[in-house]
Amino acid sequence: MMDWAKASLEKVERSRAERVDQAPPAISEDEAQALIEEYHPDYVGNERKIHVGPNADADAFPMELADLLESDSPVPQDFQPNADIETDVLILGGGGAGVTAALGLADSGLTVHLATKLRLGDANTVMAEGGIQAALGPSDSTRRHFADSYVGGHGKNDTGLLRILCEEGPAGIRWLTRLGALFDQNEDGSFRFRQGGGTSTPRVLACRDYTGLEIMRVLKNAVMSSATHVLEHHAAVELTDDGQNRVTGAVLWNTQTGKLVTVSARAVILATGGSGQLRLQGYATSNHMGATGDGLILAYRQGCSLVFPGSHQYHPSGSSYPEALVGQLVTESIRSAGAQFLNVNGERFIDEMMVRDVVAAAIIREVREGRGIETPAGRRGVWLDTPLIEQTKGKGTLAGQFPGLIHRFKRYGIDPVTQPLLIYPTLHYQNGGIRIDADCRTEREGLWAAGEVTGGLHGTNRLMGNSLLDIIVFGRRVADGVQQNLPERGAVTLSRLNRYRQELKRLAHRPETTAPQLYPRVSGMTFELKGIPKHEAEADASPGPVKSFEPPDPFASR
Amino acid sequence: MNSSVEPTAAKKVNLTVAGQAIQAREGETIIHALWQAGLGHTIQTGCVGGVCGACTVTLRFKDGRRGGTDLACLRPVEEGMEVFPFPVDALASPPPVSDPDEDKLRAAFPTVDRCTKCDSCTVACPMGIPVMDSVLRMQKGQIEAVAEDFTTCIDCGLCRAVCEDKVLPHTMGLWVRRSLGLSLDHPALDQTKERAMSDQVEQEWEHLLNCDDEERLQRAKALRKG
Repeated sequence: MMDWAKASLEKVERSRAERVDQAPPAISEDEAQALIEEYHPDYVGNERKIHVGPNADADAFPMELADLLESDSPVPQDFQPNADIETDVLILGGGGAGVTAALGLADSGLTVHLATKLRLGDANTVMAEGGIQAALGPSDSTRRHFADSYVGGHGKNDTGLLRILCEEGPAGIRWLTRLGALFDQNEDGSFRFRQGGGTSTPRVLACRDYTGLEIMRVLKNAVMSSATHVLEHHAAVELTDDGQNRVTGAVLWNTQTGKLVTVSARAVILATGGSGQLRLQGYATSNHMGATGDGLILAYRQGCSLVFPGSHQYHPSGSSYPEALVGQLVTESIRSAGAQFLNVNGERFIDEMMVRDVVAAAIIREVREGRGIETPAGRRGVWLDTPLIEQTKGKGTLAGQFPGLIHRFKRYGIDPVTQPLLIYPTLHYQNGGIRIDADCRTEREGLWAAGEVTGGLHGTNRLMGNSLLDIIVFGRRVADGVQQNLPERGAVTLSRLNRYRQELKRLAHRPETTAPQLYPRVSGMTFELKGIPKHEAEADASPGPVKSFEPPDPFASR
Repeated sequence: MNSSVEPTAAKKVNLTVAGQAIQAREGETIIHALWQAGLGHTIQTGCVGGVCGACTVTLRFKDGRRGGTDLACLRPVEEGMEVFPFPVDALASPPPVSDPDEDKLRAAFPTVDRCTKCDSCTVACPMGIPVMDSVLRMQKGQIEAVAEDFTTCIDCGLCRAVCEDKVLPHTMGLWVRRSLGLSLDHPALDQTKERAMSDQVEQEWEHLLNCDDEERLQRAKALRKG
C-alpha cells in the first residue's frame, strides 16, 4: 500500500523511536505570526473589494464570495411573491443551529417552519468530529475559556458574544445531556476532557470521533417529535421585506419539484451555515455539499453587513489520499492523542497543538518548499504519524477513540494503526459572517441569525470545539430572542432585492452567475425552475423526505 | 505538479446508475462520478463524508460479485457496477425514558421480539455495526452494550428498510442511547453553577473586559499561563 511513497515512509519509521519523547519544535509568537502572514491562504491576496451593499469598497472578500455577492438573484424578474405558507417563525437551515432554535421554540406556542435545502440534519454539524468545549473541568473557568478563545482568535473576537459563549457553555452541555446526548466518560463516570489546539487546559467533550453525529442525531430525533413543520429539500433563494427594511419571510425553491414557494413569517432565523463548498483558491473542503454561503448572500442583499468576510479556517488535517477521501477531515484530537506531523524526510516541523491557522500555514510551507509528499494523482501533503499513538498510548487506542477514522480509511485498504496518513489543509470553517448582537439580531428588523453564518464570535481563527458550542448556545439564544421581540406580520415584497438589482446595474463588470450558488460547482447542479408557473403551484407544508422503497410492514394490520 | 508520476486515476470504468450508463475514473466514489456525469440529482446527497446517511443505494453485479447496500459517497465505482437509489424515510421515535430497561424498551417498541434472526440488518449496515446481535441484546435488556453498539450509527435507516419484520433496529438503538444519556448524573454540571456565582468571578471578567484590545490580549495570555 502506498508504494509510491515507500522511501519517505521508511524515513518516518526510522525516526519514530527518537520522536516518542521529543518536545515539539519551538516557535515564538512572532514566528507564528510571520508564518501565517506568509503561507496562510487568507493572506495570499486572492481577494478583492466589492462595490455594492453595506461592505462596499471597504473589506476585501475572497474572489469566489465577491463574485456571488455581486451576482443577480435566481428569482425571475417578474416574480410576484404571494404567501403560500404563513407562519410565525421561519428557520432557514436544518443543521445544529437551526434545529436547536426549533427546539428552543417548541414550547412557545408559536408556529414554526424549518426549511432546509437538503434533509434535516444533513449539515456540517453531523460531520464535526473532535468535540465541544465547555468550562466544566475542576481547574477550568469560563474566563480561561474566554482567554484561550480570544488569543486563538488573535484578539479580534466580539467580546460580548464570546463571553456569552463561555458563560452559557455549561448550561448548553446540560441541555444536551438532558436531551440524551452521551459524552465520553472516565471510569468513575466523570466527563473525559480532551486537549484542543490552543486550549490551555483539557476542555473538549467528545463522543469518540463522532461528536457532531451524536449531537445532530439527538437534536434531529428530538425535533422530529416536536410540532415543528419541517420543509426538506427547500432551499432559501431570497428573503422578502415589507418595503421598509424589515424582513418578512423568504422565497424557497423546492429542489425536487423545481417550484418557488413563498413563506410569510413574523421572524426569520438564518441558520444556513458555512461556505466550504465555494472551495476558495481551489482548496478541497471538509464541508457537506450544501455549504455554499447562501445565508451570507441573502442577508447581504437585505442590508446586513458582514464581519471578517475574508477569514476562513483551513483545517490543518484534511485527507490528501486516497482521491475518494480528499478534503475529508482527520480530527484534531488525533493530535492531542499524540500523532505528529512529519515532512518527506520524516522530520517534525511544527508544534502540533498550536492553533489551526498556524499549523495549516506550517504544512503549506513544508509542501511549498519541497518537503511534501506527492500522490500518484498529483496532490501533495505531509504525514500524520497515527501509528505513533499505538506506541505511546497503547495498542487499541485508535480503534477505541477514533472508530470513524479507522472505518473510513479501511474501506480503501489503509489502516491508520500501521500506516501514517497523508494530509493537507482543507477548507473547513467560515470564521466571518453576518453581524449579530447579543440577542442574535442582525442589522435588519425581523431577521435573526445563529451559528456558522454569523461572524465575530471566533475572531479570525476558531478553536476546536467552539463551533459545536456556538450552535447550541446561540441556537438556544436566538429562540429566546425571537420570542421577546416578535414583530407583527408584514407585507411580503421584494423591494430590497429590486433595489439591490438597481445597484448591480451600476457595476462595470458583472458576474455571469446567479447567487446563492446552492451546490458545489463541481457537482454541476444548479438552480432550475421547472413545470407550471409559480402562481399555480401548490405549496406543500409537509413534503417529508423523498419516497422510500421500504417493504410494507407485514404486521401493520395487527 | 510532478508529471513523472503516472496518474492512476486516469483509468476508466463503466457503470450504470438508475439505468443510465456513465463512465467514471477508477478510485472515485459513486457520488463524484455522478457529479462528473452531470447527474447529481439522481441520488440524494448530504455530507459527502459518510456520516449523514442521505445517499443510501443498492448495488448489483451481473457477474455474481456480491452487491447489497452502501453509501454512494463512500463507495468507489467498479467496472460493471449497477447502482440504484435507495432513499430511506426518516422516522419519528417514541420519546426516550429515564432509567431504560428491558420492560421499558419493550413497551416503547413491541416490535423488538419480531426479529427472526435473518441478519439482513447487519449485512445492510454501512458502518459495520453488529445490528442483529444488538437487537438480541435489546431483547435481554443489555442497555449499555446496545448504546455502545450504536455509537457509530449514522441513522441512515438501511437496517430498518431491509427488515422484513419491521423491527426498527436503529430507531431502538438511538432510543436506548438517548434514554441512557438523559438518565446519567453529571456532578460537574452542578458544581459549575455554584462556582459561577462568586464576586471573584465578576472581578475576573472586569479584568478581562474593561481595557483596550491590546491590553486584553496580554491579560488573556497571562490568564492562560496561570
